Amino acid sequence: MNKRIYKVALPLMVVTCLAFLMAASSTFAKGDPDFDPPLAPLGPVPDPMDNSMTPEKIELGKMLYFDPKISGDASLACVDCHHPEQGWGFNEPICRGYPGTVHWRNCQTVVNTGYLNKVFWAGSTTSLEKQAKSAAQGGVAGNGELDVMDERLRQTPEYVELFRKVYGAEQPNVRPLAYMAIAAFERGALSQVGKWESPLDKYLKGKKSALSKKAVKGMKLFEGKANCIECHNGPMLTDEKFYNIGVPRPEEWETIGLNQITFRFELYAKGVYEDKYRNYKDDLGLYFQTKQKKDLGKFRTAPLRYLKYTAPYMHAGQFFTLEEVIDFYNDGGGENDFTKKYGTKTKILKPLGLTDGEKEALVAFLEEISGKEIKIGSVKVPKMKPFPDVKRLTQKKAKITGIEFYLDAQGIKY
Amino acid sequence: MGKKKILAMSGLALLGAVTLFIAAPTVAMAGEDIGPLPKRKAPKASMVEMGKRLFYDARISGDGAISCATCHDPRKGFGDGQPLSKAYPGSDYFRNSATLLNVVYKSGFSDVGWGWDGRMGSSLNDVMRDQITETTILNLDMRILHERMKQDPTYVKMCKENFNGECSSGKARKALIAYVETLVSTGDAPFDKGNMSKDAKAGMKLFKGKAGCIKCHNGSYFSDGKPHNTGVAENLEVFKNAVRHATYRAVLTTYGVPKGGQWRRDVGYFFTSKKYADVGKFITPTLRELKYTAPYMHNGTIKSLKDVVEFYNNGGGHDDPLARELKKLGLSSGEKKQLVAFLESLSSPKQPGKIDPPKIPQEYPVIEDWLNKKN
Repeated sequence: MNKRIYKVALPLMVVTCLAFLMAASSTFAKGDPDFDPPLAPLGPVPDPMDNSMTPEKIELGKMLYFDPKISGDASLACVDCHHPEQGWGFNEPICRGYPGTVHWRNCQTVVNTGYLNKVFWAGSTTSLEKQAKSAAQGGVAGNGELDVMDERLRQTPEYVELFRKVYGAEQPNVRPLAYMAIAAFERGALSQVGKWESPLDKYLKGKKSALSKKAVKGMKLFEGKANCIECHNGPMLTDEKFYNIGVPRPEEWETIGLNQITFRFELYAKGVYEDKYRNYKDDLGLYFQTKQKKDLGKFRTAPLRYLKYTAPYMHAGQFFTLEEVIDFYNDGGGENDFTKKYGTKTKILKPLGLTDGEKEALVAFLEEISGKEIKIGSVKVPKMKPFPDVKRLTQKKAKITGIEFYLDAQGIKY
Repeated sequence: MGKKKILAMSGLALLGAVTLFIAAPTVAMAGEDIGPLPKRKAPKASMVEMGKRLFYDARISGDGAISCATCHDPRKGFGDGQPLSKAYPGSDYFRNSATLLNVVYKSGFSDVGWGWDGRMGSSLNDVMRDQITETTILNLDMRILHERMKQDPTYVKMCKENFNGECSSGKARKALIAYVETLVSTGDAPFDKGNMSKDAKAGMKLFKGKAGCIKCHNGSYFSDGKPHNTGVAENLEVFKNAVRHATYRAVLTTYGVPKGGQWRRDVGYFFTSKKYADVGKFITPTLRELKYTAPYMHNGTIKSLKDVVEFYNNGGGHDDPLARELKKLGLSSGEKKQLVAFLESLSSPKQPGKIDPPKIPQEYPVIEDWLNKKN
């Protein structure tokens, strides 16, 4: 190798290493377990290569999002648990679920979920397409079944036309095409970009007037004394990692029969060993996927955008206000079934010693960055119609349709 | 083929026939004469109580809107009195809700599936499972049924009493079968008692002779348990009503029926056999308790027994090129009346099992001291 390159490269490498060490030493200063990316504005919405967005697809997804045909008894649509007037989520601690049942976790907002790599509270799913499937087909969610839902779409002339236009499909289907369109709608229409750009993004891009003084103070606390940035970082204000912060068990499980049914059903349906099914009284969180004791009660760090509209908070809506949430962290988190027994509580949380003024500033920051409420106006859901060829269907015609070739082969006159 | 081989095979066939006979002792074999129903072993009363409660409990459907009795109404001969049944909300059904009276006798046939087209399997346990879980019928996840029962102190007690264990969906099915076991004729029909009217007696002669009904409606259950195409007209509602049609097509898809999108007729036994010769065949229904189960046929297109007799007198339906079994009967109007009289004599004077549906409380009481109890 040429000696001259060494002469240039070596000092350069030393400088780079030093710079990296300096940067790292600042972020790891308080014994941080990992590198915390700074808060950042949202980039363009991810546009997956296997489900790219087109205006037509987004429009189709919007209709499907509002259409109750995609559920078991055709009575509830995506929108019934992820409602525009409830922060594109559901304003009760625990989600309503399918009629005759109740869900077991809080319904999360759909806003900005296109940016996430892990969805659902325990991050069990990796895309919005898959999320739509679980929501439409789960027993305490949509309770729908594909054959029936497919046919409802196929018998809706508008959908037949739109699926043809959007996908070139011979006929509509729910999986994967409807789920893909719904995901495209969620990414394309429910992200805080363009006209919905949030004050946080504006501020981070240099427009200092986008946030009030109080909110800026809150942001400094967020990144500093309160150390929220440890987990709530990057453009989505989440590291998408898993922690047990000791959120207490939702009281509904102890006090309401219907919720007890769903709790046991989830343990049963998600497939844990019988001793866990018999004995556990709290949400197992990440454990359902890993079956590792260290993951009991861990949930994926929640994103904090659009927070103002999405109360109540935490995986089963344990807190109604942001003030309560901040008090919870100020106390160093809480305790649940797994923190004490299995020691799965994160070491990151410590009492923060925030003053009332500091708490207010934090709330102001979280509220202000929520931005404008995303509204899309009313959506018309297309109706099912009989196929055009049955209008003048006669008995004779009905009896031979579908078997002409068989009758010919048998030499049967008809 | 060697003689020995033939001998061995006929031996096997004989063995098969004997096994069949042993396995099906309760129902007369196809082609046999009509007669009284054999007595069945009475199920345990406490088990029947549990099954009865489940039968009338709407919590057995996914959204808690309907129970078994919604389509199998005890006041309507355990059918629903409609040409086509309602079934699960959002999915009107494409068939007539068949009576459950005496349905347990079908378990005596080794080669018959339940349902009009036999697609529901040949064990009553499977039928119960399908009815509960099928999306267009009760649409309930079995695991939710399990947990719902565990939440209801009455079921918890009943499961303990009957099975000495905790509630499960399997136990629910067993109990439901026990209740359906009680929905049988009591031997009070004039035909069984031997106190038929003169007309009915004459009708029986026609039934066995000139009218030839006995070719298919035979044995104590009045069915050969085989599929036949009689050319019953299509109920075009199944094709002209978008919701019903979607249900029909969805079930075609579920059962892997070829050309799902093309059919404008009910394919019948083709659902099960996938043989084109079976298109439009339906399994011979029982004729017992017929008085209480109008309208008739798989799609409820015939309103009265008089019309049914008229239909057969005409040699069945003629639009269907596959319906080739029936011939015109040439019955006089007096003979038709006699046949109807005979058919009516197959029904009990009072409908078996008739009750006002009991009201089952629909709430789920909380399990007290939940934290200290095992799930």
